Amino acid sequence: MSNARASAALRLRVGFLVIAIVLSVLGARLVQLQAIDPKSYAVMAATEGTVTVTLPASRGTISDRNGLALAHSVDGLMVVADPTLTDEDAPELATFLSQRLDVDYFGTLQRLRRTDSRFQYIARRVPAAIARDVVAEARELGYAGLSTRDDPVRDYPTGDVAANLLGFMGADGDPLAGLELTFDRTLSGTDGSARYQVGFGNRIPLGESTVVPARHGDDLQLTIDGDLQWFVQRVLRSTVEGARAESGVAIVMDTRTGEILALADHPTFDARAPLEAPKADLGSRAMQDVYEPGSVEKVLTMAALLDAGKVTPQTQIEVPPNIRRSGRTIRDHWQHGDIRLTLAGVLSKSSNVGTILAASELTREELHDYLVRFGLGARTDVGVRGETRGLLPDVANWSQLSHDTIAFGQGLSVNALQMIAAVNAVANDGVRVDPSLVRGVATTDTGTEVGTDTATSTRVISSQAARDTAEMMELVVDPEAGVAPRAQVPGYRVAGKTGTAQRVGADCGCYDGTFTVSFAGFAPADDPRFTVYVVVQNPGTRGGGGSITGPAFAKIMGHLLHRYAVPPTGTPGTDLAHEW
Amino acid sequence: MSTPAVQYRRRTKLAEAAGRRARLTVAPRPRPSRASRVPFMTLVTLLLIGGVVGLLLFNTSMQQASFAATSLEHQARVLTAQEQTLRMELDTLRDPQRVAETAQRMGMVPATSPAFLDLATGRVLGEPRPATPQDGIRIQPLPTPKPRELSPPPRIIEVAPPTRAERRAQRQADRLAEQRAERRAARRGGGGE
Repeated sequence: MSNARASAALRLRVGFLVIAIVLSVLGARLVQLQAIDPKSYAVMAATEGTVTVTLPASRGTISDRNGLALAHSVDGLMVVADPTLTDEDAPELATFLSQRLDVDYFGTLQRLRRTDSRFQYIARRVPAAIARDVVAEARELGYAGLSTRDDPVRDYPTGDVAANLLGFMGADGDPLAGLELTFDRTLSGTDGSARYQVGFGNRIPLGESTVVPARHGDDLQLTIDGDLQWFVQRVLRSTVEGARAESGVAIVMDTRTGEILALADHPTFDARAPLEAPKADLGSRAMQDVYEPGSVEKVLTMAALLDAGKVTPQTQIEVPPNIRRSGRTIRDHWQHGDIRLTLAGVLSKSSNVGTILAASELTREELHDYLVRFGLGARTDVGVRGETRGLLPDVANWSQLSHDTIAFGQGLSVNALQMIAAVNAVANDGVRVDPSLVRGVATTDTGTEVGTDTATSTRVISSQAARDTAEMMELVVDPEAGVAPRAQVPGYRVAGKTGTAQRVGADCGCYDGTFTVSFAGFAPADDPRFTVYVVVQNPGTRGGGGSITGPAFAKIMGHLLHRYAVPPTGTPGTDLAHEW
Repeated sequence: MSTPAVQYRRRTKLAEAAGRRARLTVAPRPRPSRASRVPFMTLVTLLLIGGVVGLLLFNTSMQQASFAATSLEHQARVLTAQEQTLRMELDTLRDPQRVAETAQRMGMVPATSPAFLDLATGRVLGEPRPATPQDGIRIQPLPTPKPRELSPPPRIIEVAPPTRAERRAQRQADRLAEQRAERRAARRGGGGE
């Protein structure tokens, strides 16, 4: 009996001991986990099975007025290879990849055989569907070592159409120029992220999960008409190449709304391969270059004179062969004796002397004020970076000579967009409308709001003065009275003005013997719908605004009127006399 | 004022009442319950089993849904990428340059002077005229000019005019060569006949 009681006590003791040992081991482990280095274990526990993925925000599309995409983003992938795995089948794999991914065979072969690296780019910015198919197919064929990573693609499906406006993106996905850069904050959006636990590649239900959704970039719609822009670019290219000129600009504006329907620069570049073009061609010359407008400016002088009531289109002017002012002799572009021109004739023959005589009716302040109201010397702020404000000399510094030369368009500088907006004021019944490039409203990265919604209009000259100026401009394309019969669009009444201006050389700061030729005009003359301005810098062939830019104007205007189905007004043309 | 005698009497009366009240009696034994415990136990067990099985099924279906979600998400990604690639192809086909090149290959030229019919008055505005190949515009860039190194200017070597003696010698040599050629031609002609 006492024996049995002793063995039970022993068993109990041994049992307690075992329990104590186990408990102290657990206790020691607990101290190790919780007291010595609790954080690293907590982190290890969290990372085990938890994944964080970025939810990339897609970049907004830039489209034309009809919704045609000019720049849009596509899910893209890069195909990368691990050479330690691809080395074995390198030639076969390189053949396969060069056939499927449009990459160079030899370059790829070399990369697949590199021994000093485990990461080699095979192809970048491949549309995701294609990249996945290729990698999956390679795996099926038994080639190991290929994988894909995110690499968004920015596609410019129309190549060089509006490239100077759109700009382009760098290899690392940052915008480098144009509207892409100006409206980057609007277009880019914000990346989101998702964090969740996974087991065997599947999300664990009820596991930890946080999602911050991506905010996609906003789209940008331009007032540009993509197909028209293409046509204008092609006409401009053949004009500039045909004249062996340095560069050219052509702008089409909707007369009533101020919307820019096309803005072409030449030379231009392919937005899909911007680095192949010279750096000077990557911006927009229409807004970033200044030049002296020449005789196109006479339109503004005449409009100002008519508005001030100093003259009528039939005012008779006796034009001498030349005129001496402040020790300089100013002549016309053709030799003549004393001739008798009406004001309309002065404009249609583009007589500098006649313009000076007429403009002497206006004081310096008056002419300056008119030009300021026409928008010269101020940025148009359509949303293009680096726009120049042009150079309208301060009225306090105007000499008699500058008053005279400014009246016919020399001694002041403009950018092409300013100039078309000014001529458009004459077309639009005397009301200047701010030009706009963006439909609706958009905020630039500097915080300026631009677009058709913010465009304002101001009356510059009276309706009667605008109509009279337009009628005088009709004579310019008249085969007898005018200097630019080739700018006529058959069947329509066209108003226009040529310009041939001396250029200021970059080095000497003086006129260097080269010229800017231009033509601005609108149609139908008695109910204008579109204003077109073509400027060609430094043509290598002989010719002025009428013979070089006039035909380009006629082509563009004719196409425009047919494209937008504008019928001829059917009214008889002007009967103004140009001589007396 | 109460006397001690009165106080004593009152006390005994109270004690008697307390004694009467505190007398205990035997309570009747409660009758044993006839209701069986089995249904209750069954209910609890069923609830328990039902709960556990339900939870299990719920968990399984959640797991199932998670698998489906993952595969559908993947499918959606693939389809989105496919759609984008197709749209990209469409945009490339829609490129005005490509359309114009195709049209030009088909022999098309842009119309230059269409006419408009005013429905209100029945008047025809504009003079319709068929377009001709001259109305086309050049849509291709000029070929890149060759670098000057590849088209060198022609090299002109000036030779001094021959002297009189040289000219005479040349004439004689010419005459001799002519005679020789005539003889040869005569011989060949004779052989033929």
